[in-house]
Amino acid sequence: MKRIYLKLTLLLGLAATTAAAPVARWDFGTEEPSKLESVGGVHRDVPGPRPPTYPDFDGNNTAAKFDGSGSHFVFADPGPNSEFDFTNGDAITLEAWVDIADLHRGENVYLIGKGRTETAGFAADNQNWALRLREQQGQACVSFLFATLPVSGVTKSDAHWHRWTSTEGFAPKSGWHHLAVTYRFGDPDSVRGWIDGKPLPGAWDMGGATGEPPVVDDDAIWIGSSKGGAAANSFRGALDEVAVHREVLSDEVLKKRFRREGAAPVAKLAQQVMPELGALPPGQVQVTFHEAMPTHERWLNEGETWPAAIMTWHTKQFLLPRLPLRYDDWGIREVWRSPMLVRLAADATLTPGKQRFLMRARALGRLWINGQLVARTEAMTKSPPDGEEPIIEVPSSLQPGVRPAAYFQQETFGEAEIPADGKCRIVLETIVGGTKLRAETSELCAAVQTADGWQLLAAGKPALRLTNIAVEPVLRTMEGSLQQFDDGNRRAAAKTQDVFWDQRHATAQAWAKANPPPPVPSDAPHPIDAFLAAKMNRALAEAAKTSLEEARKFHKEVLPVLRDECFRCHGDKMKGGLRLNSRAAALLAGESEKPAVVPGHADASELIARVLTSDEDERMPPQGAGLSAEKIAILKDWIQQGAPWPAAPVTAADVAAPPTLDDAAFLRRVSLDLVGVPPTEAELLSFLADQHPGKRTSAIERLLADERWADSWMPYWLDVLSENPALLNATLNSTGPFRWFIQDALRDHKPMDRFVTELLLMRGSPHTGGSAGFSLAGENDAPFATKGQIAAGAFLGVELQCARCHDSPYHSTMQKDLFALAAMLERKTVTVPKTSMVPAAFFEKKARESLIKATLKPGEPVRPAWPFAALTGQADDTSLDGLVLVPKDTRHRMAALMTAPQNTRFAQVMVNRIWRRYLGAGFVEPVGDWEGHASSHPELLGWLAHEFVAQGYDVKHVTKLILTSQTYQRQATGSNLIATSELRFFNAPECRRLTAEQVVDTLFAVSGQAMNTEEITFDPTGRRAEGARITLGKPSRAWMLASLTNERDRPSLSLPRAQCVTDVMEAFGWNGTRQSPRTDRETSPNVLQPGVLANSSLSLSLTRAAEHSALAELAVAAADPATLVRSIFQRFLSRPPAAVELDKFTKMLEVGFTERLLGAAEVKPTAELPPLPRVTWYNHLNPRATTITMEHEQRARSGPSPDPRLQAAWREVYEDFVWSVINTREFVWMP
Amino acid sequence: MKRRQFLTHTSAALGSSLLPTLAAETLLKGRAEHVISIWLGGGMGQIDSFDPKRKGDPTKKLAGSYYESIPTAVKGVQLCEHLANLAPLMDRVTAVRTLHHDVIDEHAAATNRMHTGRPVSGTVTYPSLGSIISHERGAASDNAPPYVLIGYPNVTRGPGFLGAKAGYLYLTDTGRGPAGLSRPDGIMADRQTRREAMLSTLQENLPTTEDKRLRDYDAAIAQSLKLSGPDFTKAFRLDEEKGDLRTRYGGEFGQRCLLARRLVQRGVRFIEVSHNLNFLNGSGWDVHNTGIVKQHELLRELDTAVASLITDLEANRLLDKTLIVITTEFGRPPEFDSGGGRGHQGSAFTCVLAGGGLNHCGAYGETDELAKKIVNHPVSVPDFFATIHAAMGVDYTKNLYDGDRPVPITDNGVPIAELLAKSPRRAGEN
Repeated sequence: MKRIYLKLTLLLGLAATTAAAPVARWDFGTEEPSKLESVGGVHRDVPGPRPPTYPDFDGNNTAAKFDGSGSHFVFADPGPNSEFDFTNGDAITLEAWVDIADLHRGENVYLIGKGRTETAGFAADNQNWALRLREQQGQACVSFLFATLPVSGVTKSDAHWHRWTSTEGFAPKSGWHHLAVTYRFGDPDSVRGWIDGKPLPGAWDMGGATGEPPVVDDDAIWIGSSKGGAAANSFRGALDEVAVHREVLSDEVLKKRFRREGAAPVAKLAQQVMPELGALPPGQVQVTFHEAMPTHERWLNEGETWPAAIMTWHTKQFLLPRLPLRYDDWGIREVWRSPMLVRLAADATLTPGKQRFLMRARALGRLWINGQLVARTEAMTKSPPDGEEPIIEVPSSLQPGVRPAAYFQQETFGEAEIPADGKCRIVLETIVGGTKLRAETSELCAAVQTADGWQLLAAGKPALRLTNIAVEPVLRTMEGSLQQFDDGNRRAAAKTQDVFWDQRHATAQAWAKANPPPPVPSDAPHPIDAFLAAKMNRALAEAAKTSLEEARKFHKEVLPVLRDECFRCHGDKMKGGLRLNSRAAALLAGESEKPAVVPGHADASELIARVLTSDEDERMPPQGAGLSAEKIAILKDWIQQGAPWPAAPVTAADVAAPPTLDDAAFLRRVSLDLVGVPPTEAELLSFLADQHPGKRTSAIERLLADERWADSWMPYWLDVLSENPALLNATLNSTGPFRWFIQDALRDHKPMDRFVTELLLMRGSPHTGGSAGFSLAGENDAPFATKGQIAAGAFLGVELQCARCHDSPYHSTMQKDLFALAAMLERKTVTVPKTSMVPAAFFEKKARESLIKATLKPGEPVRPAWPFAALTGQADDTSLDGLVLVPKDTRHRMAALMTAPQNTRFAQVMVNRIWRRYLGAGFVEPVGDWEGHASSHPELLGWLAHEFVAQGYDVKHVTKLILTSQTYQRQATGSNLIATSELRFFNAPECRRLTAEQVVDTLFAVSGQAMNTEEITFDPTGRRAEGARITLGKPSRAWMLASLTNERDRPSLSLPRAQCVTDVMEAFGWNGTRQSPRTDRETSPNVLQPGVLANSSLSLSLTRAAEHSALAELAVAAADPATLVRSIFQRFLSRPPAAVELDKFTKMLEVGFTERLLGAAEVKPTAELPPLPRVTWYNHLNPRATTITMEHEQRARSGPSPDPRLQAAWREVYEDFVWSVINTREFVWMP
Repeated sequence: MKRRQFLTHTSAALGSSLLPTLAAETLLKGRAEHVISIWLGGGMGQIDSFDPKRKGDPTKKLAGSYYESIPTAVKGVQLCEHLANLAPLMDRVTAVRTLHHDVIDEHAAATNRMHTGRPVSGTVTYPSLGSIISHERGAASDNAPPYVLIGYPNVTRGPGFLGAKAGYLYLTDTGRGPAGLSRPDGIMADRQTRREAMLSTLQENLPTTEDKRLRDYDAAIAQSLKLSGPDFTKAFRLDEEKGDLRTRYGGEFGQRCLLARRLVQRGVRFIEVSHNLNFLNGSGWDVHNTGIVKQHELLRELDTAVASLITDLEANRLLDKTLIVITTEFGRPPEFDSGGGRGHQGSAFTCVLAGGGLNHCGAYGETDELAKKIVNHPVSVPDFFATIHAAMGVDYTKNLYDGDRPVPITDNGVPIAELLAKSPRRAGEN
């Protein structure tokens, strides 16, 4: 609503000649007359300045409130030379009413500005004009900003920014104020700033005064934010009456703008009282979580109310290690709307009399007992430096044995008088997260002092001592219980979508019924074995028709030349109208109109002419130095002989099935495949003893139901989907940690079509594990093109890498296809970025017509469209609507197009991926790039895909089908991967090396040590927003690690314990920096693989009979050396030792075996190393940080202390034995 | 356009003489065999080191050098006073003073630019210079890896699309060999012998296999045991060097340089030595604010180590075949920041070449009176990389292949021809 004395309309289009009429004025009434588009958290209808304090306004005047997260209004510039474009000679007045909710140190927040929106197509530094607030010494100062054209040669310097700021200001949070600046462009002395009707002194405090004109273009006007929505430049608070004038308003006018009755309203803290919570569940500490507190810096002001609890959890002690996870209404990870309140409350019984209490919290907190405020912690208000913070010394323990406070935690004390009956109501409150703070609690707790230390407060009587020994097991139990709570919340939320998915799967079933699969050949007990046998039999029958010698000659000599040199363009593809992949095709002519092959006449064959010519423009193959004389001779000779094309020379020996794995080897293989680690010794022995004929199928079912099944798939999807979280700033193609979304989906056994849909819809929080993390791509100017490329390769087997910059030279995919997909994901027309082009020099240098063509120009718009209708069998038409949740949304449509049952390609690509994981080669190779690559078993692939669809896209169903086949259970002697699709028979699975994750997880599992690395973060204190610094927590499985690189080469930023693990993983092909998607890691052996197993700190640590380790316990408990030898073989290699092995190793361990245990008097307890201070992002530039980290490195390298009970000489023999077991080839290769 | 038409078109437009001309243009080719690449993380200020100008005053915010300048062996070429050991050697050195690029906001991005020579691309992970040289030339000995990094591992220094074979072995401590190939502390020869004997027992019991993958892995085990054995790891025994030579090289950074020389002698093709020991001033070469106060200590450390490396290589007759390269993220402006330190500058900065059989001239290219703008002979990052390739005899015009995709070895870089021109060798070498 408006000022009473002014008629309030948008005065667009009025010429500047009309005195006192603004070019535009926005007053944020209930109806907006101009085309304002709101983006993000903008709220209309909040109270504006009103009487009686501001008597010039209506009683129901409203304003707009901005949450400061980048939310803003956009007002499009009408076009060239509009009223909003200012240049030299033009006068301007900008004014606004503001009510500041919050303004941090050094912030510059936008009220209104033209340009600098970071919209594509505009320079990032195109500020025509802006009215801003700048914080100086706690005051909000009025500030004016514009940019001139940058001077060439001074790239990226800020010299062309010109900022004037008033030297005085007003206190934030002190009600409504009026601000204005007036200026005549070209005359730097003309600038004036006004607050509450008073002109103020000021200075050009950046870029200096200038007579240069401002940058002018057609970029939009933004209200409330700038720079693409940068939080640091976004206004937090309310705005009213924002206006732009093309004149300098007179002093008289501006003086009259502000009228207030009485002093500036001052917000007052509400009186602090213990909250009334009513009855609490007996014997329980009730923990409630409340979102969206007004600020993290204080408790409530008068007139503010507590937000309602949105989640309640129960525990026993006043101890909370972390927040529960926050999910959106589909059960996808969200971020807590912080600052939030966490409140623990319980009725307790304490010892009567005066007692002393302790509370620990990271941020603002307070402890109440029976209405009395006993202890309090302070708010986190300081913004931390980027490296120069002092080192925080290790906190000394309160008393020997007492668990110390967590790093960067406040610890305070207080006393209270406990009544005679001991009955108490205890409430512990803390604010978690806030502006630029992550929502993390640290280990929140409260305790009471007792005669011999401290006890955690609890529901009822305190019973848990505050010592590491007592608390650590409780924390583990709590973590289990919190995880259950999280799982329950997530699954309940996900259930709301089940109706839609049940209907999708009913549709899929109906489709499957209407489209029957290829029939199963009937000569084997398992359908998979039957299909495979059928192909082998066919091949044998065909081969019998020609002489083996003739067939071998063709297939071993001639065909490889054709395949390697010609098929890429003239195989399944038909470049130049020619194919060479069958005799019939080779006899035809392509565009040259000359037959490629004339049997018996090499000289008349165009094929030979083309490989022989020295004409650069004619010669084949088009790249490289041409064919060798030897290869040319082979082709010539073959044509002279009549160009015979016999069937492949397959003999019964070639397709003979190797023996089935024995039970022990089978269990090792299936355990590694399904849960990522080998069986335990007990599992192995029980399996070997089991006489039941169906025990293999039972084992497969048991392992498929195991929680760790999710872990077994994690590395795969992280690679294929290019998950790439950066611990510091964004780097090339860095994403959010959507690993957690994937893990949740796998643990919840989400069907594959649903998993893909929820991934592509990119929901939840990008920074805390929602599928929205997939939407990010750091340092990439077309992130959605990259996402389109990843999705097409992962789910459709379409390779679009080349299409980023040009049409694919060896594929039919066009640049337009990729950007059309990007547009579907982005829900709007997209333009091709400048970087997505081939440098002109590339074409200029070519003497011959290039294989590549760029069909789109940078800046060319591409509309959302589905480019794969023909390929997938599913068009983007109304037939899809029933399968889409939001049919009008192109991103929803794309997800449905990718996963619809009619899209037979999706199911086949998925099944092929599953098959390849367990057999070591796909029906189609490579699995992410199907074009021009035939399936070795189209019927079996079709049959499995049909099963997949009919069973609701259930990966476990297909997995079980594969693993129960005889084929999977055979010895791994296969050579399918190098065979052509024609000669790929799958008579045996491929020999597979353990993946990096399997190696590391196995090492930890068999040695019985926990993965005790640092928390994977450079900010354990949560003093940056979720988007700026992340934590990936403490890993318990290898896939949870991430790239530790800091790219600054600063030793102080290393995480040595985690580095010990990633060193091993990197040697085995893991890469934490997943800049592009990949299915196949490098598998070729290199010296580092055996090297890290032999020499790395990790192998040293894990082969040591360390104190409290399973290896030490085994050695101590062993009845005799032979038992110990058997045990090590069974744990590490999942088999009993062979007789000769048992004999040799037993003899070695026999020496000194009976004396291996030291007498109680000889056992020297291990001296504990003093704890070291912590190094984080905030103190890493401190020179001491480097010294401290080097000490951490030294400790990590030394490994754990050996068990002091074991005599050293014998222990070393034992450790050397264990070392030899992990260094044998057998340890890292699947049976 | 059909190919036949294209042919007619090009013949008409360009004339038939073009192709032969292109073909006849000879490649510049040096005779270096090894590279020791010294990395100054954080961004070395050219105006305070190899491109000194008139002195400024941080207290008065007067732009200019932080230190006095001194003359060098090359007439007209001056260095900052803290490079006093290098000054008399500048006839074996060329400070390329006119490097420039446009990534100055982010250390990681600049580090990437100066290791790969290219802007990032959404679809290709480019290989580092070290990986390209390793890929092109391989190791100089069968018993050495091609590429060793003395510093922290990161993707920027990695092989990108060239694959693990072109990757590095790394170490962060000269007291030890590379991670994975140096035996852990406490594993002495007797234990290693016992371990290997036990391993043999297990290996003898393995079934024989025809599978190439398994046989290759067994070969890798053998090769790994060899490289972690005394022969190669001897290279890391710096205590074998004479005490006074070790002292001449200076502290840990100097020892890294000495180790680099030993690795050259073992046949390592490319060694990157990171000067990242941030004890001196916390922030290393990233001298914002008070970080600059101890910058001279970094300079002296660099000076001592590199001067010793040059003379030591020369004494071992290795200087002509070992190219020393000093690179950094970007330079620093002549102006001072509010804390008296310096910000970042990409418009002009210095990288250094030494030895490697180049025709050195002390300094190449000229900047203005405050080392802020390039006056003549600008050298792009691709040009600088092409110069290194040329010095190493690598064809700087060729394509590498990311699968099917041709990727020019540098981003159209042209070598600095003057440095590669024929020149008589100095007496006493070879």
